[in-house]
Amino acid sequence: MCLGAASILLAGCHPSAPDGSLVVAQTPVGVPPPPAATVLDVRYPPGSRVVLLVPPFRTDSVRELSRGLVAAGDPCVSWDGRWVYFDGKSSDDADWQIYKVNAGGGRPERVTRMPGGAMDPALAAHGELVFSSPVPKAGRLWTAPEPAALYRQMPDQEPARLTFFGDSAVGATVLRDGRVLFVSAEPRDDHNAHRHLCLFTINNDGTEMTAYACQEDGVDFIQRPRELADGRIAFLAARTEELGPMGRVECVRPAAPFATRSSLFAFRSAGCRSVEPTAGGDVLACVETSGWVGRSMTPIAAIYRVAADAAAIGAPLFNDPLWNSIEATLVAARDEPAGHTSAVVPGAPYGTLLCLDVNYSSEPATGPSPAPATKLRVFASVGPGQQRTLGEVPVASDGSVIVQLPVDVPLGLDTLDAQGHVLRHQPASFWLRPGENRACIGCHEPRNHAPRNARPLATTQKPAHLGLTDPTTVP
Amino acid sequence: MKLKPFILVTTPLILAGVGAATGVSVHERRMSGLPQLGYVSCIHCHQRGLDTLPWAKPRPHHDAPGGIAVSPDGKTLFIALDDRDEVAEADLASFTVSRRTKVPGGPFGLALDAVGKRLFVACRNHDRVAVLDTLDLKEQASIDVGIRPTDIAYCKTAEGERLIVPNSGSDDISVLSVSPLLELTRSAAGREPYAVAVSGDGRRVCIANRMAVHDQILSQPYSEVTVIDPASGHILAREALQSAHLAEGITDVPTRGWTLNSVVRVSNLVPITQVKDGWVMSSGVAIARGNGEVTQVPLDEANAYFPDPSGVVASPDGKRAYVASAGSDVVTVIDLDKLAAWLAQADEAERGGAMVNMALSYRYVVARIPTGCDPQHLALSPDGSRLFVAERLEDRVLVVDTASLKPVGRIVLGDGGLDDPIRLGERVFTRARYTFQGQFSCRSCHPDGHVDGLSYDFDGAGVGDNLLANRSLCGVAGTEPFKWNGKNPTLQYQDGPRFARVLMRTDEIPQPQLDQLATYIKHLPPTRTIPWSRVGQPLTPAEERGRKLFFATKRTDGTPIPRALQCQTCHRPPLYTDRLLTSVGTKGSQDTSGVFDTPHLIGVGAMAPYLHDGRAKTLEEIWTIYQTDDKHGVSSYWSKLQLNDLVEYLKTL
Repeated sequence: MCLGAASILLAGCHPSAPDGSLVVAQTPVGVPPPPAATVLDVRYPPGSRVVLLVPPFRTDSVRELSRGLVAAGDPCVSWDGRWVYFDGKSSDDADWQIYKVNAGGGRPERVTRMPGGAMDPALAAHGELVFSSPVPKAGRLWTAPEPAALYRQMPDQEPARLTFFGDSAVGATVLRDGRVLFVSAEPRDDHNAHRHLCLFTINNDGTEMTAYACQEDGVDFIQRPRELADGRIAFLAARTEELGPMGRVECVRPAAPFATRSSLFAFRSAGCRSVEPTAGGDVLACVETSGWVGRSMTPIAAIYRVAADAAAIGAPLFNDPLWNSIEATLVAARDEPAGHTSAVVPGAPYGTLLCLDVNYSSEPATGPSPAPATKLRVFASVGPGQQRTLGEVPVASDGSVIVQLPVDVPLGLDTLDAQGHVLRHQPASFWLRPGENRACIGCHEPRNHAPRNARPLATTQKPAHLGLTDPTTVP
Repeated sequence: MKLKPFILVTTPLILAGVGAATGVSVHERRMSGLPQLGYVSCIHCHQRGLDTLPWAKPRPHHDAPGGIAVSPDGKTLFIALDDRDEVAEADLASFTVSRRTKVPGGPFGLALDAVGKRLFVACRNHDRVAVLDTLDLKEQASIDVGIRPTDIAYCKTAEGERLIVPNSGSDDISVLSVSPLLELTRSAAGREPYAVAVSGDGRRVCIANRMAVHDQILSQPYSEVTVIDPASGHILAREALQSAHLAEGITDVPTRGWTLNSVVRVSNLVPITQVKDGWVMSSGVAIARGNGEVTQVPLDEANAYFPDPSGVVASPDGKRAYVASAGSDVVTVIDLDKLAAWLAQADEAERGGAMVNMALSYRYVVARIPTGCDPQHLALSPDGSRLFVAERLEDRVLVVDTASLKPVGRIVLGDGGLDDPIRLGERVFTRARYTFQGQFSCRSCHPDGHVDGLSYDFDGAGVGDNLLANRSLCGVAGTEPFKWNGKNPTLQYQDGPRFARVLMRTDEIPQPQLDQLATYIKHLPPTRTIPWSRVGQPLTPAEERGRKLFFATKRTDGTPIPRALQCQTCHRPPLYTDRLLTSVGTKGSQDTSGVFDTPHLIGVGAMAPYLHDGRAKTLEEIWTIYQTDDKHGVSSYWSKLQLNDLVEYLKTL
């Protein structure tokens, strides 16, 4: 006991976590949650905490890492294994913010000061924190008038916004190639319409927003995507009637993410609260099972370590009948993801969009006209339910278009035939960052296709320029 | 009191200094022909001799495995060690080297006869083929072939035994008879014939040409598969692989009648606005199924890349193919039954577009075997049970059990050269890990440090306005600044922050590795463009006439040629560059500037295409098509024969 205390003092009150430790988010069992204000209050009701679980994982070997906070959850371990970032709330009235604490213990330190709160911490290269803000109201994650956007924040610097969707961008994780993978809604014009969730990626400067998986699958809920040791992307998927912070565990293979969606486990995995990778290839899964609490049978989430090819979930690694262990992450140093040298030009008022062939599509054109597009109409979403047409630009005979467009605003496209009929429609769902040169190979083109090697005719002309000054606004 | 002597002393010095500076400035402007020239130092133009450059100095040599060949009994592996001028023999029971023998001239390609008694060695540095007796590893015979032979194949024909040798430096193919050892024919190939494969029946030999050519600027490049009759040496076919290049490996697939060719699919005509989704290039295999159709399919995946495909071999039963990816240190295993099934069900459009479908390879790729650094040549044991992988920058050969696809041993040839900064730099050069998703390496565009013969539209302030020809890295030491606009003062700057932003799309290469990379590049010697037998020999009469034309100060009629328009002014020996920006009237409609860095000319004969955007396919076209008002030298008085002479001279530099 004395030796342990002395070693902590010698370590400058920043003890390191013992090898094999887990960081775990726990919510109290059997405590009826009060009316929740935000989505995080639903996920982490008062009393929720982040703890360090030290081998051999007994209930009496738990160190609380979120001391002083009324609720906490969603832990994320830094790449060097020394720090834990998590969502925390300092008082009942306070916003949720991101905190960090030494993995071995200590006093949590607030690292974000976002109006409306911050959530879903993830770490990119060079100590960069990625998170979502604001924290949407409970039940309004996908219908909030001010959707949650992704931000990045270097240590001791101001946060910078990365996404400009009309829908929330949440659940970020950083892939080994340095991209940020996150969950958002399939683009649609009417934000009140039923929506499906899917996975997207961006660079850590907000450039190259790209569909990653599930865009055509019609999944109602996707949560907590994580890159496994073998490169597969695991996530929780749920149907509408299973609304809640759990689901079945699915995955896609990075070799063909749009063609390989399947269950991660060979066994039934409904009721899963989280999956996290381990370096050895196993998965830490927090799954709800039923247990006796007092006189009632109550679901309790326990931690399982599951081999990727396991036929059954096996015995829990840790199960505390007084706490739901809903998220568990191994505390260990891992290879930092790749960095990214930004191509953003701060202050540049526009970016440039090149489409190699607007007629190249995997979907048939709408309307009766089989003719190729002659014009491209660009519009921007300028507020909830408000779109403004920026103008039209001619399409070259090979289908290519190049146009300079305003930055950091959701943009949408219509391809038009010679009579002005809309052939294909892309809701306002992509954006350009300042100075970004962005290209696509078609409109609704086949996924994961490289460009064919042909010189786009549009590049022989100076690009047209469309700004936000056009007064044409349509509801 | 002491002011007067001070003034008396310093004033003349200052005046002399000002006068000298003025004189130097006048001299510089007069000699460069650039009246607006700012300050440049004396050594900018008065360069050191070539013998002081890094590439001209002695360097460490290593036991890098080149070509490998397994004996018919499966007991012995022969390994070409081109950097050592040696061939090694390894015992496959113990995975140890049993003998080594000197074979001068950079032995690189190996082939055995049908019974394993004679080993044929293509020596790429001395342009020859040597015949070794495998009993004593003594050289029995030698014959000169074309420039830089890189591979060799043996086959029996009705007309007798034949050796087929692709000569990568002279763009031709030597067909040799074995007894006697004679060159029967030398046929024109595509650009840089590199690897050769004999069909199962011995009636056709396919040669992979590493570099692509294009018909005109901004047209789609293609590399050629040259098909010849080994008996006669006659060309049977020239198959074009559209937008494919860097074909370093080719193999016949027994039982299927297929030929597999490792290729890189390039999108050089598309502006490089991004890297993801194989936007710049991707790796694959071209399949010629003998029905006249060639289908290219990807080795890469939607989010993982396996660049610089090199050696390729197929199992004796035709069930599997193995492809070495030198940039990612992986051997990819292809299930040919699955690939055949996909080909059978795909329609023509799907097959035609297969190579750009980055989500296709999971259907037929069944394994990725990790290897050491820079796997290039592959060989299989006769029964197909062992795969041998030449780990070139590890000085080792990896042995893989093809049933389990697990390594079972390594044949150690050397220590890897980890104490040699040039070798360490070569590792940086060949590894793709420094680019986004490991999509390509420096070598992907600069095979052997040279050019890939393509122009790329790099990302810049705009889109589509930065088309630039790739430039060779061979012999660039001392020619700084770099880049066509001359904005990069050092190789470290060129390959560090600039490439990280416009091409690699990831973090900069860390400084230690960047310094190693620069060291390696500075030690790349110029490309040899004349036969080895002519090195050090006098110029031919035509070349001598061309030399006089190059250094001419007057036209044939005695009219003086302005100094600014004399070849030697900008292309000043010994590097044949003044390292200054000059306009030669080649500004294109999309170019933001008309002045470009003067390229050096050492090895220029192998650097096609020419001019900043690669518009000139040949040296001749610089003056026959793209000369504007005598701005690029005064050529209007040249006859066709004089131009021929000049080109002949330039090819000797």
